[in-house]
Amino acid sequence: MIAFAGFSLRRALQGIRSNKLMSAAATATIVLMLALLSGLVILLAGFDATLKYVEQEVQVVAYLKDSATSAQVASIQAGLGQMPQVAQLNYVSSDQALADFLARHPDEVDVVGSLSTNPLPASLQINLRDPADYPDVAAFLVAQPGVDRVLNIRQTVDQLVSIIGVLRAVGLAILLVVGLIVLFIIVNTIRQAVVSRTDEIEIMRLVGASDAFIRWPFILEGCLMGLVAALITVALLWLGQAPIASFMTDYFKVLPVEASATIGRDVALIVLATGVGMGFLGSWLSVRSCLAR
Amino acid sequence: MLVTLEGVTKSYPNGRAALKGVDLSVPEGDFVFLVGPSGAGKSTLIRLLIREEIATSGSVLLDGRDLARIKRREVPGIRRRIGIVFQDFRLLPHKSVRDNVAFALEVVGRPRREIGGAVDRVLQLVGLAGQADQLPGQLSGGEQQRTAIARALVHEPRLFIADEPTGNLDPLISWEIIQLLLRINEIGVTVLMATHNAEVVTALRKRVVAMEDGRVVRDQLAAAYHRED
Repeated sequence: MIAFAGFSLRRALQGIRSNKLMSAAATATIVLMLALLSGLVILLAGFDATLKYVEQEVQVVAYLKDSATSAQVASIQAGLGQMPQVAQLNYVSSDQALADFLARHPDEVDVVGSLSTNPLPASLQINLRDPADYPDVAAFLVAQPGVDRVLNIRQTVDQLVSIIGVLRAVGLAILLVVGLIVLFIIVNTIRQAVVSRTDEIEIMRLVGASDAFIRWPFILEGCLMGLVAALITVALLWLGQAPIASFMTDYFKVLPVEASATIGRDVALIVLATGVGMGFLGSWLSVRSCLAR
Repeated sequence: MLVTLEGVTKSYPNGRAALKGVDLSVPEGDFVFLVGPSGAGKSTLIRLLIREEIATSGSVLLDGRDLARIKRREVPGIRRRIGIVFQDFRLLPHKSVRDNVAFALEVVGRPRREIGGAVDRVLQLVGLAGQADQLPGQLSGGEQQRTAIARALVHEPRLFIADEPTGNLDPLISWEIIQLLLRINEIGVTVLMATHNAEVVTALRKRVVAMEDGRVVRDQLAAAYHRED
């Protein structure tokens, strides 16, 4: 077993060394594919995190006019309190809204400080028992004096879900095409390695080498290319960590901080598994077709 | 190793029949010359013996085992008990003599510490101990064929097949190679040698199996290359 592993590894490394250009080209295309893959994973993770955050929040927001009197507000609250569809009701004053905003975006303190008045309206935040009840509650709210406009968070969530769906489908389709091209390149690279060793393989067969000894060096060669490509990709991602993280927080304003750490680890694992997996699959297909007997 | 062919035919998909009902029995420790014109079926017979190919009908038996019925994964084990050399040597040009021979053991997973000793012993046997570190390109034809023989011997085979081993060599060197094959036979290995070398065959008076057009036309002990009657 040790002799087998040592033999296979030595042969695989010899193979890569004697076919540097093709091996490098194949590795580069795997890197390209893995970079695409990690980009997609990171983007989807960002959207998912946003979605989760939004879903935790209230489902209906009714912004109140600045002119609304406290009696009007109290009557709206009483009305909502009697509606069986309402699970929870919160009054957020204009000051509270500003405080929340500043807590979420500490960078904007200066901007807010330069304003003479508080631009944020007071609001009623409502959780529904069932999102389908939205029209009833909205109809009630719109009819009330003092209500400026009603926002259906559920609608925003639905839009987000459909964007994520499209992104995932398009991303996976592109990945699939790139993946097939990469696979084709690996298959060809390994085929070339096999062809360049036709004489050795013939001798191996004559002296009684088993199929495993003949095939595994080539499969290992593919796996090694995938592994190297994955390590390069992970290194590139690590170097690009800071810009990626700032893009993530800029673009997905609400990305929870703890998400980025696990995303980094997950992406690294996905990249490693995919790289080695592609190398294995490509070389296995190649060996199966050109060493079949 | 006991070799038995019973009514063996071999036809190729293009319809050509390379062997037409061959019967042959080679007992353990025998030395057999296989002669006949090109295309008579000698090479096909050899390919059947090492299970490169399978007989269309009839059976090819090694020590009583039908090669058509063994499992695919048993083939390597059988090949390790057969040593084979060819007219064109088939050495790896970028490996030294020692590495060419060691390669045969490496590829079957023998531990490295066992390989060195086995290779030295077999190089001694074929008289190449002094050239172990040279590349095939630096050797004469005879030395290259000795290297190939050493590689075929390193598994300690019980059947040794030589397919035109002297085809590329001049007469004097050919005799050295034949002497080596006789030595191998003396230590108990069955030797089957396909050849066109009439001088050698006639001089040695060994068993001769002559083939023509896919058939065995003569099987004679202590015989000459050509029919003598």
